[in-house]
Amino acid sequence: MIELRNVCKSYNKGLLRAVDDLTLAVPPGEIFGFLGPNGAGKTTTIKMIVGILAPDSGSIAIEGRDNRSEPLACKAVTAFVPDEPEIYERLTGLEYLNFIGDVYGVPAGLRAERAGRWLDKFELSAVAGDPIQTYSHGMRQKIVLSGALLVEPKVFVLDEPLTGLDPRSAHHLKEAMRGHCDRGGTLFFSTHVMEVAEKFCDRIAIIHKGRLIACGSLDELRRQAGESQSLENIFLELTEP
Amino acid sequence: MKRLKALLAAGLRQNFGLSLLKHKVLQGKKDLWLVLLAGIGFLSLLPVLVLYVRGLGLLFGILRAAGQETAMLTLAILVGQFFILVFGLFYVLSAFYFSRDLEFLVSLPARPFEVIGAKFGVILVNEYLTVLFVVVPVFVVYGVMAGKPLGYWPLAALVFLLLPVIPLALAGLLVMAMMRCVNVSRKKDFLILVGSLALLAAALFLQLGLAGTRSPEELVKFFSAADGLARLLGEKFPPCIWASRLLASGFSAPGLGYLALFAGGSVAVLLLLLLAAEKLFYRGLIGLSEMAVRRKKLSAAALASSFASGRTAWRAILRREWKLMNRTPIFLLNGILSVVLVPVMLFIMVRTSAGSSSMAILKILGSGNRLAEILFAAAFFVACGCLNGTASSTFSREGKTFWISKVIPVAPGRQVTGKFLHSYLIAGLGVLGGLLAVRLALGLGWKSILPAALLAFVAGVLLTATNMAVDLARPLLTWTNPMRAIKQNLNVVIAMAVDAGILYGFYHVSRLLRRVGFAGTGLIAVLFVILSLLAAASIFLLARFADKRYTTIET
Repeated sequence: MIELRNVCKSYNKGLLRAVDDLTLAVPPGEIFGFLGPNGAGKTTTIKMIVGILAPDSGSIAIEGRDNRSEPLACKAVTAFVPDEPEIYERLTGLEYLNFIGDVYGVPAGLRAERAGRWLDKFELSAVAGDPIQTYSHGMRQKIVLSGALLVEPKVFVLDEPLTGLDPRSAHHLKEAMRGHCDRGGTLFFSTHVMEVAEKFCDRIAIIHKGRLIACGSLDELRRQAGESQSLENIFLELTEP
Repeated sequence: MKRLKALLAAGLRQNFGLSLLKHKVLQGKKDLWLVLLAGIGFLSLLPVLVLYVRGLGLLFGILRAAGQETAMLTLAILVGQFFILVFGLFYVLSAFYFSRDLEFLVSLPARPFEVIGAKFGVILVNEYLTVLFVVVPVFVVYGVMAGKPLGYWPLAALVFLLLPVIPLALAGLLVMAMMRCVNVSRKKDFLILVGSLALLAAALFLQLGLAGTRSPEELVKFFSAADGLARLLGEKFPPCIWASRLLASGFSAPGLGYLALFAGGSVAVLLLLLLAAEKLFYRGLIGLSEMAVRRKKLSAAALASSFASGRTAWRAILRREWKLMNRTPIFLLNGILSVVLVPVMLFIMVRTSAGSSSMAILKILGSGNRLAEILFAAAFFVACGCLNGTASSTFSREGKTFWISKVIPVAPGRQVTGKFLHSYLIAGLGVLGGLLAVRLALGLGWKSILPAALLAFVAGVLLTATNMAVDLARPLLTWTNPMRAIKQNLNVVIAMAVDAGILYGFYHVSRLLRRVGFAGTGLIAVLFVILSLLAAASIFLLARFADKRYTTIET
């Protein structure tokens, strides 16, 4: 469960309002897609949810706990994957996963089973012992995702997770996320790929210039925008400069 | 030439963060405090500068009495060029081969000499800042006290501007040659480390062994000549002599000859570097990021054994710090190497005939005064352990991966425990190195060494925590070249100034304790207690500071 209430964030002493009075809730069991043009405030919102940025005002709760007053409790149930896989290049893939397992307190037995599963699915088993420095962009993305999946948290927050993934890995990820939400977990993810949002998300929000301009299921958005429009058309119409 | 200028301008803006600073300070009015902090940092160096200038005045008087005042210039230029050559090796290695802009630069329609020329220019500007405080006061004191005419000053400026060119270009040539050889192997990181150490050893050998062994007759001959001492100091590196004679002779016929030699030599070595860049640079660079990899599927058993044990969070962070530092050649060379370098230099200096007089001075300083021996040794151990960039770059080194530290469910105060232990381990290594050097080179007794080591280990806690706090206050996380995180990080300089202030403070505390009647073991015990209390307080405050500061660092 993720709840944002009247969240605001600005840069340059208020000159640039990145997120403007954002209120939304993502209940357990829901795949929530977060769309918006470049610079709309998606990444800023995501960074505030996971505690990388602090909102100027408003509140964010994860599983009912405020992420500023109880940050560790919130972080313990959240896994985050950023849009750029900037991770420790000089560690091997296995060392990185072990580090994540250590800091999230994943028991060693579970770690081996989960890591083995995801390394296999993402076809990283052969390179897991190599330094991350030697990985391609897509492989780095997959090792960060493996780290997040290793934790098996209640809440996944993924910033454009499909960028750089090959189709097979993207399929495995989507399958895993569907299963996670079917088991009562929560997924909040941003994407630029309209087809993915259309087919994959239970609900979609569109943010533009920091403000939430639409939120609901695909059918609800269609009803708001006019009959039988594609998500791409709805998006283009709503975010027209 | 246009491309070279454009690359240089972009390199300078990127290296000094000029565009970002301008944006933050002028547009967002943010980080204005940073400019003020830098100003205060420079002001805090003023007392040291005043002491330095006074010392130079005394040295000038002594040398003039012997007719050897030019030696002061030679020594300053030699020291400046020595530091540039030794540390320039790492600057050059990092900038030429490990900065993240290289992939972009290589793809540009620029010739190798243009890329290297621009990078060389950026390092050159950095080196001016490095030697500014060492060399300029010497030039000023010499010019004023020797009553030099107006013509001296433009020549002094010219010598200052050309000073880093020869050593830096030599460092560039050595590094390019080394990288060309290293890039044929798959074990590049290891070879880079070994090669760098070999180059460093060669530079040290060249500089520290320059005096060689001389008979007393030869020494007398050197001192009886007008600039004999200058010649003795600079004989293995003639540009020092050319530069100092140029300044001493001014716009006379011999002076102009030395100008031609010094300026011509600088230009020639620079041209050689650019020429070598055309032949060697891309061959050493292309494919450098390819590494030896296993590409062998792990068996289920191997995977299970890899995950056999869970660790506490602070141990995981300590392991991460240790591995990242040791596996990044630039961090390793600037962190661990610098704690090893000072004791090794002391050992070599004392063991060579060049250092025999300094050994005698040290022995005289300590003779018959156990307390002075202990305090001097403790200060030296602390300098060996703590005056490096490990603790004061511990947060900056995380760079763009700092987001991980912000999202993991480990309290910043606990994360800092792992980081502290890592920095303190390296400080401890430095203290041990200093201890061995003092024991083996100076033959200091264990009765002095052990209490000194005890004081140094406790002081190490205080200084490590303080250095970490300095970095935590303003971590540099946006670097593209790892050298910026540790070597060109203002936090490292500020932390060193703070450390110097703390040690200076303890010097006064010791004097005060003596004045109120403490002596010998009693005084050491009181110092130990004060240091222990401060050390405990510093760790506690660092953890609290981390808990507050982590939430406000935005990446």
